Amino acid sequence: MADPGTRSASARGTREPVVVSGIAVRSAAGSGPAALLARVCAGDAAFEPVTRFDTAQRRTTVAATMPGDPVLVDELAAVIEDACAEARLDPDPRADTPMLLAAHADRTNRATADVLARRTGLRTPARTYTAACVAATSAAADAATMIAAGRIDRAVVAAGYLVDPDTFALFDAGRTLARDGHVRPFSTGRQGMLLGDAAVAVVLESAAGAERRHVPSLARLAGWGRSGDAYHVCQPRPDGTGLARAIDAAIAQAGVAPAQIGYVNANGTGTVYSDRAESAALHRALGPDVRRIPVSSTKSVHGHALEASGLLELVLTVLALRAGRLPVNAGYLGPDDACELDVVVDEERATDTRYALTINAAFGGANTALLVGAP
Amino acid sequence: MTAQRTAPTEPKVLARAEWPAGDDDTLPRIAGFVVSDFNPLVAEVAERCLRAYYGTPPAPGDRGARTGVVLASVRGDVTTADTVAEALRAGRRVPPLLFFQSNPNAVVGHVTSRWGLAGPVVCTSPFGDPLADGVAVAELLIGDGAAAEVLVIAADLATDGDDRDFAVAVLVTGNTTAER
Repeated sequence: MADPGTRSASARGTREPVVVSGIAVRSAAGSGPAALLARVCAGDAAFEPVTRFDTAQRRTTVAATMPGDPVLVDELAAVIEDACAEARLDPDPRADTPMLLAAHADRTNRATADVLARRTGLRTPARTYTAACVAATSAAADAATMIAAGRIDRAVVAAGYLVDPDTFALFDAGRTLARDGHVRPFSTGRQGMLLGDAAVAVVLESAAGAERRHVPSLARLAGWGRSGDAYHVCQPRPDGTGLARAIDAAIAQAGVAPAQIGYVNANGTGTVYSDRAESAALHRALGPDVRRIPVSSTKSVHGHALEASGLLELVLTVLALRAGRLPVNAGYLGPDDACELDVVVDEERATDTRYALTINAAFGGANTALLVGAP
Repeated sequence: MTAQRTAPTEPKVLARAEWPAGDDDTLPRIAGFVVSDFNPLVAEVAERCLRAYYGTPPAPGDRGARTGVVLASVRGDVTTADTVAEALRAGRRVPPLLFFQSNPNAVVGHVTSRWGLAGPVVCTSPFGDPLADGVAVAELLIGDGAAAEVLVIAADLATDGDDRDFAVAVLVTGNTTAER
């Protein structure tokens, strides 16, 4: 059955404004938006010794893991239900609402998608997005593209990663995990990243559709940009030009100037060369304004949730904007001359900004930028 | 209000390649990638498709800058995943090189750096026809203005039920008047 809310925006040569009408999250740093925001604003890192599996042979033994032994499909079903509840997506509109999933590429992708569609009543996805640290933001950008063009009226984007022994061993073997047990983005003395659990769901919707359904908009997804570095298998382009193009595209699509942006939720993995490249990208894209825009990487608190990281950080960007509270970049020891940014350290900051940016970068030189606006 | 869905414009195919191209086809190894045929498979079919259109690398700067890559693989690099799992079961060290190739973006980075393709990079595990789904993702990138051309690669390693590994690549554009 055709969705009565669907229309042809692109046929009119316009972009349908896209809003966020529901969010839900589970992570080691807090399950539920309020708990998570409180923890990242306190800069209270969630890293603990891993008990889910044996780490005795690893160089690093900590991660941000939720209690017990959570199952990904259960966690995803739970956050999708919560996000749909906030967006007041009852069973009828759900049947015509597509689901876009992001998760690690493996043999269970199809089964996970089928189970989620059956449990939640949403339309079975066409695919799982697997592009590592930009998987979830790629899914969000595709959902937003379809909504903006009038091809669909709403979508549920969900992403999950739970710390597992195989990935932990791979990242440990690649010497990317911080041996001191802290993620210190943009800081002197940073040693690398740490992994973290997350299951996240976001309902994206046309502004007109949300209004028709009398559902409040939590935020606007004002712009999105994507680019590639064309540089290396796993390292970012050092001058940041690739990521800067993604940021440029998001800003241009939103029709805002860098001067209007009041917060950047950075990719900030805590890796020496990655943070430097990201800093270069921010300088390149935001110009002189970068010196007054507060920046923090909440990975310093919740860890790197890989395929789910971008959606987790989108949710935090929405929450920060709504609450006027900017999260702390935990673990900061002091400035790195190659990362000249206004990093939020020691304590949270208050803001009344109406625009915030969240950026992500992945292996293969894949970059995304999402510009979030106050409703 | 009358419901109306916008049909995307179907991209035009500029070039196409497959692996294998014959019974005795082989896969060249690529530096830095070990153990698995998945990454050489992706790299080789991409190379054939891009050579068919551009000749030698890199792509012309103005074209490459606006060319994205979509890699669609139902099962992904199961050989690398199984090798890691087996090493853990046996209590052996995980080879560090497997870290770099453990996600599908890595080999895409090999292709994009060689050919100067600086558009978006998207990797998926599709549930329907892999090439058709990859082209559907490419349509979104082109329709959104994020790319003018997209190299779509569908690649999967053989399973017990398949004869051998298989990959296909197409270079597509939203410019329907573009020359082949």
